[in-house]
Amino acid sequence: MAVAPILQVANIDKAFPNVRALSDVSLDVHGGEVIAFMGENGAGKSTLLKILSGDYHADSGTVTLDGSEVRFHGPKDARTAGIRVIYQEPEIIPHITVAENVFVGELPTKRGAVDFRKLIADTWQSLHDFGFEGLIDPNALGSSLSPAQRHIVEILRALKPGLKVLALDEPTSSLTDDEAALLFKLVGQLRAQGVGIIYVSHRLHEIMQIADRIAVLRDGKLVGVKQAADTSEDEIVAMMVGRNLTDLFTRDHAIRDQVVLSVENLSSQWHHDVNLTVRAGEVVGLAGLIGAGRTELAKVLFGEYERDGGVVTINGKPHDMRHPSEAIAAGMGLAPEDRRGEGLVLVRSVLENSVLAILSRLSRLGMISPAKLRATGGPLIRKLDVKTPSLDQEVGKLSGGNQQKVVLARWLAARPSVLILDEPTRGIDVGAKAEIYRLIDELASNGIAILLISSEMPELLGLADRILVMRGGTIAGELSRDEASEEAILRLAMVHHSPSLSPDPANPGQAMQ
Amino acid sequence: MDSSSVEPGPSAARPSASSAGVFKRITATVGPENLSLIIALAILVAVIASQTDSFFLTRNLLNIGQNVSVVGLVAIGVTIVIVSAGLDISVGSIAGVASVVSALIITQFDTEIGSVAGGIAAGAALGLVNAGVITFLRVNPVIATLATFSAFRGLAFLIAPGGRSIGVLDQEFAWLGIGRLFAGETFPGIPVPLVILIGVALIAHFVLRYSVFGRSVYAMGGNPTAARLAGINLTRMKFMMYSASGALAGLAGVIVTARTSSGQPASGTQGLELEAITAVFLGGAILAGGKGTIAGTMLAVILIGTLSNGMNLMGIPTFYQLVAKGLLLIIAVAIGQWRMVRSERLQARAIASTSVEKK
Repeated sequence: MAVAPILQVANIDKAFPNVRALSDVSLDVHGGEVIAFMGENGAGKSTLLKILSGDYHADSGTVTLDGSEVRFHGPKDARTAGIRVIYQEPEIIPHITVAENVFVGELPTKRGAVDFRKLIADTWQSLHDFGFEGLIDPNALGSSLSPAQRHIVEILRALKPGLKVLALDEPTSSLTDDEAALLFKLVGQLRAQGVGIIYVSHRLHEIMQIADRIAVLRDGKLVGVKQAADTSEDEIVAMMVGRNLTDLFTRDHAIRDQVVLSVENLSSQWHHDVNLTVRAGEVVGLAGLIGAGRTELAKVLFGEYERDGGVVTINGKPHDMRHPSEAIAAGMGLAPEDRRGEGLVLVRSVLENSVLAILSRLSRLGMISPAKLRATGGPLIRKLDVKTPSLDQEVGKLSGGNQQKVVLARWLAARPSVLILDEPTRGIDVGAKAEIYRLIDELASNGIAILLISSEMPELLGLADRILVMRGGTIAGELSRDEASEEAILRLAMVHHSPSLSPDPANPGQAMQ
Repeated sequence: MDSSSVEPGPSAARPSASSAGVFKRITATVGPENLSLIIALAILVAVIASQTDSFFLTRNLLNIGQNVSVVGLVAIGVTIVIVSAGLDISVGSIAGVASVVSALIITQFDTEIGSVAGGIAAGAALGLVNAGVITFLRVNPVIATLATFSAFRGLAFLIAPGGRSIGVLDQEFAWLGIGRLFAGETFPGIPVPLVILIGVALIAHFVLRYSVFGRSVYAMGGNPTAARLAGINLTRMKFMMYSASGALAGLAGVIVTARTSSGQPASGTQGLELEAITAVFLGGAILAGGKGTIAGTMLAVILIGTLSNGMNLMGIPTFYQLVAKGLLLIIAVAIGQWRMVRSERLQARAIASTSVEKK
């Protein structure tokens, strides 16, 4: 390209305790292009974004915006200069309205007081301008928003005058296909306006569709930059991990006849008439749009949320789980969707987290010998190849993939007969994904019944023996391995589905109907 | 894996192989937070000793022990609660009730054991009230125990006849508060309350570190949802923790009765909660929960006790002592923050230089 790049990053170095996050990274971003950053977790994508957003300072190297070198002393500097970053997990302030969230830090004022009328009007205007009309109510509270709506708010925040570079970090990980399509349209609009767009995602398919160029990072170094038109998914994956995409999905099927988990006519605040069975050694996929009630179903089964009716049977015995401890005692395990918020005790060690579900089992008279803890947790952490300097490392300091492995280690230690995995590979890099797939396969072949909730179609199609599709709080249909395809799943998931996203906090399970 | 450091606790920083110097090894065993408390204590002792001759007298050192034992007992319970991300402001008032209860029992029924047990049981029962308010009524622990802080103090006055202190003349009972073990010609003897504190602290240390209950306290303090989803019953945990905190405050109240030979609704136990909470945070616990140790709290209790004692010896008025305690807490927490940031930066730099060398 003959035009001078809008953003230039040159020879960036950055190190953290225990890890060298970026070394000698140089990269250009042009106005009016979409450049994708790809790489496994820990490859340095997020660090690079955080340097651009002013959250981190580079140890050395320069960032040049519009021809002049910039040094940001905080996110506010970067924002003012025109670089806006949208993170994977949007920061929404729960107790204020959508409009206030969008204009936080720059609320319009009139004679010293906040001009709420103008605030609401401006929010309506930007919703209208960017095609989000009807998806979100400016007066709704932050806490009532769905993940997709939270993303929209975060995007609106960025779309203010002076925008030069927009960076999106895993923007589609919590969006349905409809919502993602809307986002792509918006990205197209901004590109046409000359904004430089940085797009970080693990979804190759999406990247190939949307990006002009693809920059691949590995272990903090830039491996290469490819024109999207001249490359293939296989080539990109090979650059990221040095292995082929086809290696990722191989699974033996080891279903036994014995039904381990059986659910009859389950109902709850979110569900009605849910019926399902999972046999020993079987991986049953649970597909559905966001709001269909999949995560809630996992938590109702696990005793975290209340069940109004129905029978849940594990290994032939009915169980009335009213607390997760009862579910665990009955032989269940749950790796929740939000692993940092609900899965892990981030300030405690890898070892402590790995044995958390079996403390009582390891104890004698209420006391646990530390040697026994190590003897139990240590081998599992090694078996799962968790990359940590020691068992005593705080789990919050590990990368996403390694954190998920610690969650899985906990359930390996507990040896449940039913394991519910809620989005087990969300936000995890390709290499770690493959390891987690292998692990799921191994658990199943050991006779564990697995209920796999996932929004990633290839993952469901590759791993599941059967796929149940949820819609509006119940099972809308079942697909055998042979019948299952992305189209078939979507057809079941979306019947009667209109793209209305109006918040309905009282009854979130029904919001998608 | 290095088998020599087997503690699962936060201070189990592992010694880095053979090159580790003596200093590093000490840091690893004691934990960096505790080490800075020890250093602060050493500096404080040096300053006091340079200003006065009487500090190092055995009698004076044992006096410090005697003086810190009541607040030390209370601080142990508060440590457990704060590690779990809770808070117990009512402990001083609980001690007041326990003090009155133990005095009533000994004056009415003349049973020492019954009096001690009654005081502890009263404390535990009030702890259960706290837990009930927090779990069933879903009141935030700060507000719940702020409310019972006031209510329990009122209760202490209500159950004391006429709202006045109750004289206790029983000599055997007084031994709990003022008795000395192994007293000799030259040795003034180890104060009984100090022995009780050491015993309770050791038990609490092992329970917090090596029991299912203790590990669950750390887990729920760090992330209550994750703890619950791992099968920990938070409601039951809260009942256990707040009743433990109440029981220890009760024991402290009994010792106050024994030491002052009177059941006191207020005097001797007022302000105890703030001293205890100060010690817990000074000892390395954080308000967000999931961190903190009994050893750290005990070091902090000794540090505060030594500070008060030293200032008394030097003839510094009480008002300055209060200011000094406040400053101590702020400085300690600020140093902790600064050290955390610095250590991360140093580590990062070390890694940066090693990877450059590799190239």
